[in-house]
Amino acid sequence: MWKDLADLLFQAYEQFSLLPLFIEIALAFIFIAILSTLIAYSAILIKRYRAYVYEKRYAFISPKIEDLITEQVLLNPNLGKDLPVEDIEFDENAINNRIFRKPFVRQMMIDTLIQYRKNFRGEVGELLRKMYIDMGLEKDSFAKMKTFRWERKIKAVVELTQMDISISDVTILPLTNSGNASLRAAARNAYIQLSKNEPFKFFDIATEPLLPWDQLEMFKIITTTKDIAIPNFSRWVSYSTNKSIVSFCLKLIAHYDQQSAIPAVMDLLANKDHYYRADAINCLGKLSAEVSEEKLVKIYNNQPLNCQIEILKALGRIASGKQLDFLKSEFLYSSNFDLRMNAARSIIKHNTQHSRVMVEELMEMTHEENQLIIKHCLNPLIKY
Amino acid sequence: MASTYIGYASLFFEKTVFIYGLMLLIIYAILAILSFANIRLFLRKESYTDYKIILGSPLAPGISVIAPAFNEGLTIISNVRSLLTFNYPKYEVIIINDGSTDDTLEKVIREFSLVKIDFAYDPKLSTKPVRGIYKSTDDAYAKLIVVDKENGKSKADASNAGINVAAFPYFLCTDVDCILHEETLQKLIRPFMEEESKRVIAAGATLRMANSCEMDKGVITKIKAPRPLLARFQEMEYIRAFVLGKMGWSYINCVPNVSGGLGMFDKEIAVKAGGYDGASFGEDMELMMRMMCYVHDNKIKAAIRYIPLTLCWTEGPTSLKVFMRQRTRWGRGLIQLMIAHRKMFFNPRYGRAGMIIFPYNVFFELLAPIIEVLGIIYYILLIIFGLVNWPYAIILLVFVYTYSVMISSLAVLWDQLTFQYYKTWTDVVRIASMVFIEMLLYHPLIVIFAIRGYYFHLANRTHVWGNMQRRGFKESSDTKTTTATV
Amino acid sequence: MANILVIEDDDIMLKAIRNILGKDGYNVITAKDGKEAFEKLEQGEYDVVVTDLMMPYANGLEVVSRLRSDETKRSVGIIVISSVGNEETITEAFRLGADDYLKKPIMAGELLIRIRKLLANKNSKSQLITKKK
Repeated sequence: MWKDLADLLFQAYEQFSLLPLFIEIALAFIFIAILSTLIAYSAILIKRYRAYVYEKRYAFISPKIEDLITEQVLLNPNLGKDLPVEDIEFDENAINNRIFRKPFVRQMMIDTLIQYRKNFRGEVGELLRKMYIDMGLEKDSFAKMKTFRWERKIKAVVELTQMDISISDVTILPLTNSGNASLRAAARNAYIQLSKNEPFKFFDIATEPLLPWDQLEMFKIITTTKDIAIPNFSRWVSYSTNKSIVSFCLKLIAHYDQQSAIPAVMDLLANKDHYYRADAINCLGKLSAEVSEEKLVKIYNNQPLNCQIEILKALGRIASGKQLDFLKSEFLYSSNFDLRMNAARSIIKHNTQHSRVMVEELMEMTHEENQLIIKHCLNPLIKY
Repeated sequence: MASTYIGYASLFFEKTVFIYGLMLLIIYAILAILSFANIRLFLRKESYTDYKIILGSPLAPGISVIAPAFNEGLTIISNVRSLLTFNYPKYEVIIINDGSTDDTLEKVIREFSLVKIDFAYDPKLSTKPVRGIYKSTDDAYAKLIVVDKENGKSKADASNAGINVAAFPYFLCTDVDCILHEETLQKLIRPFMEEESKRVIAAGATLRMANSCEMDKGVITKIKAPRPLLARFQEMEYIRAFVLGKMGWSYINCVPNVSGGLGMFDKEIAVKAGGYDGASFGEDMELMMRMMCYVHDNKIKAAIRYIPLTLCWTEGPTSLKVFMRQRTRWGRGLIQLMIAHRKMFFNPRYGRAGMIIFPYNVFFELLAPIIEVLGIIYYILLIIFGLVNWPYAIILLVFVYTYSVMISSLAVLWDQLTFQYYKTWTDVVRIASMVFIEMLLYHPLIVIFAIRGYYFHLANRTHVWGNMQRRGFKESSDTKTTTATV
Repeated sequence: MANILVIEDDDIMLKAIRNILGKDGYNVITAKDGKEAFEKLEQGEYDVVVTDLMMPYANGLEVVSRLRSDETKRSVGIIVISSVGNEETITEAFRLGADDYLKKPIMAGELLIRIRKLLANKNSKSQLITKKK
């Protein structure tokens, strides 16, 4: 029987090879196409079925997890009674229920605990963390770190970070310079939050860029982690060769109002990259760095438009009153609409007796279009 | 002698068409693979991203949502309201009343307590005159700005007015009747912030049909596949074009176009490139081309990216007449664009845009309907002269058919992998079944209307825009299906 | 005890707050978006409203604004809880008439204390009015 089949196949192949090339190609593609289509629909079927099964399981397990958290954490009788969180005990039977041994349920448990921690901090947050540890879930997270599939590693790092569990330097530091952008970002965030000594050590070794999206997360972690040692960020502004790190440090300097960093930031004004300079000027404005006002006005005329706008904005934020005349002349004589707008805004922002008088004067002496600009800037309904 | 020439000519023609078809199909296969890789990458990142962080971050960039409106009186209130509920910390909503002749403006002024204000309007992009700019006296609507202007006879003109007013570095362009997902802003801003070495100048996401979705006051409560046949075909086509096509192109940074229904742009580059062109019939793609030219001329490394999530639902035309007008317009826009920007054709100065995107669009988008029609005419001639080799002809037909079924089926699968938008089996079947009859029913329409568009442009016929009169989304008691008919 | 309306589209947060407030003895009504919130406000009387900002149908600021513009509901205490923490949004909320603003993640204890304070203020105000009468 097998011989007959082989003969048949051989004959078919002979017939096939007699056909012109383009027909051969066509037939081959038809075969591939039909096969792929069948596979595609089977895949859709399988995926939907799996999603269906997952949903069912989820619907079954989710209330149990929520009940556990609600009873043991939210409604725990020992909350708010001046008892330190470490001493609050959970009901052993509830936690060690057989159902919480299944890996699927344990993962869901971790995810749910993280969700709750995003909504609650303080005592409730700490108690959630205690539950995570008491149920042995941190071991689950650490186990995930050991795989070579990078998205599981990232998930593990993120989980441990969210749950405030420390990871040893030797494990996490190499990951902060990983070629994989997402792993790098997660590791850096973890390091800042969890490292006890020098959370910003990796700023020194960072050769890979710090993407704006990652900066969002990192900023949040830096500004919300308790007991974090905030260094003087000017160190990296002066010495780092990593542009994104410098730009991020400028934002941090502004946020933490590090006045001592002003000289380092002013040095950046000489940099060739005009986006860099714009960031530095912006930072000086937010720091209300009065000492920089003169220099900013001095370099103003040689700057591209974006830096000029930043300088005007900064003068408005610093609002020392010494540059009002400069702002006035920019408003009256500049040919660029945006510059006039920002000059007007900055004058108004001074909000002193002198500046208010100046605004009135300008309203009277200037032409209609500029009057409109002033009215626009004075209007409280226009926010941005 | 003549017959041998004809013989050679016909052989040449046959081979050319065959190679053309083969190349097209290979390109689709490559796109299928690239889009799969891109979607997987995207899904992996999504699995551990917490978007709540951008919600609370002072570093989140501001976004201006620009939505032109013309005679949308029936639905304008719920549309505007839903635009004010994005999950994003820093944005403004700019509605441009493009000289509506109905009560659109009055309704909005009343509902949101608007007053006309003194606004210093700087027309960086030239538009028809602006009659007034309005803001709300109620702080709850502080994000809203309404621009009232004279009708510019094009969405482009209205969008440009919106860009002039926009205060933030990024803007999202949409139609006021498109329904956007509440997470649109946070999801679409991400490509701009995650690119390692290039500047992202535009980003887009998938669009779907809103016909037959259940809605409530401008918010979609249940996503369903459209019931009308024409709308179903369009949904199928959109899924394929976005999930398979654009995601694939995005992987290699060769996206040709970001749809006008949903696109986020870098304002600085858009303004420097000149804003939207009112004279163009395909203004979204036209702006893309100009932005690409701009970045190459100024030596800026740029990228245009897509994400596979569906963030926008739009009402697709259900009557043949309106559909014909739409596709004819698209055809006109395409040929007009290709001719206007012909300097980019195989011009290495424009990088990928010149060497890949533009040629691809010329050969496989612009010329495709023409070559197809020529091929069909050729076959008919062969049949008439009895020269057809029937088995071969049929095999070739089957080849094209099964291949297109495969590509479309893969597109449906990729979409299912991204997210299960359809909750029920019937919806999946509704769309999947279109895959099998598309070649017979829908595809010919597309081809004919595209050619009609080319002809109109070349013959310089004026286009009738018409107006999709909205009957409004009928709602009796809570949730009802849309029955917007034209 | 006092009636509290909680408006929040995150299911977990909604249930959690309901449980925490319920534990302290309050009568809690929930709404998961702006539309439901307006409905519930029409139907009942509340002493305190706890609302999120980012929700479908109508954002939280609109809820605050509507509450304050309604004569009969002037004395309702309003606490805003949101992930959004930028200065503009917070000032907007207060300007519209919110009594308090808590940024997520919140401390359960703090929420309870602030609610107690709001209610205490309200009671002493109404006592003052009745005294005057």
